[in-house]
Amino acid sequence: MSLPAQATLTRLEEISGAAHVFTEQTDVESRQVNGLCPSAVVRPADVAQIAEIIRFAAAEQLAVIPCGGGTKLGIGSPPLRYDIALDVSRLNRVLAYDARDLTLGVEPGIRIEDLLRVLGEQKQFLPLAVPFSDRATIGGIVAANSSSPLRHAYGGVRDFCLGMEFVTGEGTVAKSGGRVVKNVTGYDLHKLLIGSLGTLAVITRVNFRTFPLPPSQGTFAASFSDAEAAFSFCRAIAHSVLTPQMVEVAGPSAAHLLFSSDTTARVEPRMWSVIVSAAGQPEVVDRLAHELGHMASKSAAEEFMPLGDSAAQSILTRIREFPKIVLEAAPSATIFRIGSIPTAMAGLLGELAGVATRNRLDLITLTRASGIVYAAFLPPEGGLSTITAMINMAREVFQTCGKPEIDASAMIEWCPPEVKRAGGGVWGPPRNDFALMRRVKAAFDPRGVLSPGRFAGGI
Amino acid sequence: MEPQLIHELVALLGPNAVLSEAEDLMLYEYDGSVELGSPRCIVFPSSTREVSEIVRLANRYQTPLVGRGAGTGLSGGAIARNGGIVIVFSRMNRILEIDEANLRAVVQPGVVNLDLSRAVEHLNLYFAPDPSSQKSCTIGGNVSENSGGPHTLAYGVTANHVTGIELVLPDGEIVRTGGKNIETSGYDLDGLFVGSEGTLALVTEITVRLTRKPEAIKTLLAVYDTLDDTTESVVDITVRAITPAACEMLDGFTLRAVEDFVHAGFPKDCAAVLLIEVEGLTETVEAQAAQITEVCRIHGAREVRVARDNRERDLLWKGRKNAFGALGRLSPMYYVQDGVIPRTRLPETLRCISEIGRKYDLQIGNIFHAGDGNLHPLILFDERDRAQFERVVAAGNEIMQHCVAVGGALTGEHGIGMEKNELMPLIFTPDDLALMARVRESFNPDGRLNPGKVLPLGKACGEIRVQPMPVSATSPA
Repeated sequence: MSLPAQATLTRLEEISGAAHVFTEQTDVESRQVNGLCPSAVVRPADVAQIAEIIRFAAAEQLAVIPCGGGTKLGIGSPPLRYDIALDVSRLNRVLAYDARDLTLGVEPGIRIEDLLRVLGEQKQFLPLAVPFSDRATIGGIVAANSSSPLRHAYGGVRDFCLGMEFVTGEGTVAKSGGRVVKNVTGYDLHKLLIGSLGTLAVITRVNFRTFPLPPSQGTFAASFSDAEAAFSFCRAIAHSVLTPQMVEVAGPSAAHLLFSSDTTARVEPRMWSVIVSAAGQPEVVDRLAHELGHMASKSAAEEFMPLGDSAAQSILTRIREFPKIVLEAAPSATIFRIGSIPTAMAGLLGELAGVATRNRLDLITLTRASGIVYAAFLPPEGGLSTITAMINMAREVFQTCGKPEIDASAMIEWCPPEVKRAGGGVWGPPRNDFALMRRVKAAFDPRGVLSPGRFAGGI
Repeated sequence: MEPQLIHELVALLGPNAVLSEAEDLMLYEYDGSVELGSPRCIVFPSSTREVSEIVRLANRYQTPLVGRGAGTGLSGGAIARNGGIVIVFSRMNRILEIDEANLRAVVQPGVVNLDLSRAVEHLNLYFAPDPSSQKSCTIGGNVSENSGGPHTLAYGVTANHVTGIELVLPDGEIVRTGGKNIETSGYDLDGLFVGSEGTLALVTEITVRLTRKPEAIKTLLAVYDTLDDTTESVVDITVRAITPAACEMLDGFTLRAVEDFVHAGFPKDCAAVLLIEVEGLTETVEAQAAQITEVCRIHGAREVRVARDNRERDLLWKGRKNAFGALGRLSPMYYVQDGVIPRTRLPETLRCISEIGRKYDLQIGNIFHAGDGNLHPLILFDERDRAQFERVVAAGNEIMQHCVAVGGALTGEHGIGMEKNELMPLIFTPDDLALMARVRESFNPDGRLNPGKVLPLGKACGEIRVQPMPVSATSPA
């Protein structure tokens, strides 16, 4: 902190009250970002306090990182500076829920689990089956654009977020969008905040459209001897009139993470599995069961089976929590999140397997057929993890994704700090629209108060 | 404008790609709105490179620039408010790639919306955003305005169907954002540019999603004797979380005009109809159609009719999509609004609009996207009657105030443009607008790209600007 620490604390206490400013080692360590700890954690009560904190930070050239459940602070480049952790967890109310209109306005600190419970009472939901569900808050889910398998049917946050209120890097409260389901009034500034990792503004309210819970659901697992067969099944689904809720492809080594021991599904290790969920009227689910089975056998599936309720629940939870489960099994894993088109996926996965082999790393993949590949590289079981191998692997993955025939967009969501600090960083080689992103940053946060350095291109 | 600039444009693009004679310019003074503006010169580039060169030339001469597709916009987005060069994209109208396997198409901005759907029809695919002007409006225009249409209720607006854009920035630089992938790392610039009404950059290429045609479609026509029953049905369909692909309402006044024009078989003696479409798997369609029929009957529909075949379905939709044109036959001019309200507020809002019509002694037709609360009150008037025109403006203002008061928005799909920019303070605070202005400045620093649009000019803060006297009836399909 450039100000004497005591003066900063005094000011934060004036704004939010002494009971809501924390400086104990355990407090600041719990909000560390890539090893960097803030001087203080402040838990403001409302938007006005957030604005005041940011204005103070801007005037004193302090760096602020917003946080909620703290589950995704590890994502992004290491921050250049970090003085204040701005914990929004006290802003955890449902501000407006018009179940009849299927619209919702919430504060950022509400936990997704709690919100889904509120919506469930009205037989509605948000299609955010995201990792760290027990602690993740809406603000963090939006700011990290957490990936949900349900994107297949419902789109991502950008597709069902109606508007936001937020505090800019100058401490100005602003908003864009609105509360109605169709709206082109003004610039959609809120879309820029989705996935911005707290580098543009502190989100203080998010408006969503909500969705009716489907009357019935079914989950199916098919296994294949190779990736090509698994993806040919996915292509068949995409070319049919069927509209499943999710289609996930688990690589051979993902099976033991995804299928718990108590599941009835006898999924063979070294097999590729495709997990499909169907939702709708019972007749629709029945029809999908029938036709998916037929398509699977045409794609040379070794096995196709509907999962019982508890097995389905178990695997859906594990798919949702994939990054968390990988990190628990291997804290030093490097997990890529890669945007890819369906026709490039099998080739991409083949190349990634090659990268893993060359660098003597294990590879676990979970692919959303809608266009996202999760690739986790781990030190081999019992083998020595060499950071050099991880760094080398990361460079090769970014190179692979840049090949014209693959043309994928990769970022590293999770990795050891050494990998972050190595040449390629977590965002990969700069694209030509990074310059435009800098302009956006300058408009929202001209003094670099918010999460400086965490974003792509050093933003 | 200096003749030298025209010479340079001709040298750059050839004599057949530049118009500067008064009689030619007149054709580009208006769009589908009631606004007007006179450009000094029209250019027809054939490539992104040429667009970039035009922009650089305009910069040397400090001339305003406006992009334009088919000119069907309803808020003056493509009008040269401060004169200058209008860049018409009609020669950049090629479909560059159809990627069936990945459900993407790459198109130039001048491709007509419906032409893309026709080009992929044999693959059983289509481009989902379906503005009523889709036979003539361009995808570049759809991107600039973030256009909607009846079926956006189920499939979303243009922003939900764009994954990549190539842009020419106001300094002439060519940049690509996004691509075919559903996500690229970094800020969602596509999300910012789609719907920015041509004020941040010129769109020169677009990558869009293609959507598979549904297995089954059922089109229902529910006929009512009162407006309240009609709107209550829409509320109940929403509340029961039934999600039709489209749910359109036409009031009796509009219907009669439409029926005389298209002979679609709409009953001429009713208060209103709902035109509802359900799509998807056969099983879903059957179940939803049954649920909707039940809801409509509960709310007093005197008849719920199902289109028997494609011909009947097409006729009903022809009636809906040509309704604005049909009303144009009844009145020399009309003023169409685009406010949005929470769907549950529909009954009181329609009553309020009737009340406003009586108060100002104006005929107002209602034909709109009821399912997502996107109103299109259409106020008829005669432009020669100045006093009446002022009442039109006042009535329009009151309708808009109501939409805002119930938690709605100024525009659902037509855009702010130069028609509603002075109304922006009804929704946004000075701080909200200042941030939007700053974002615009960061791309369009001296404001020469599409000047006078979206944000208020500050001349009449919070007040309604009295529009210029319109010259002729327009019928944007």
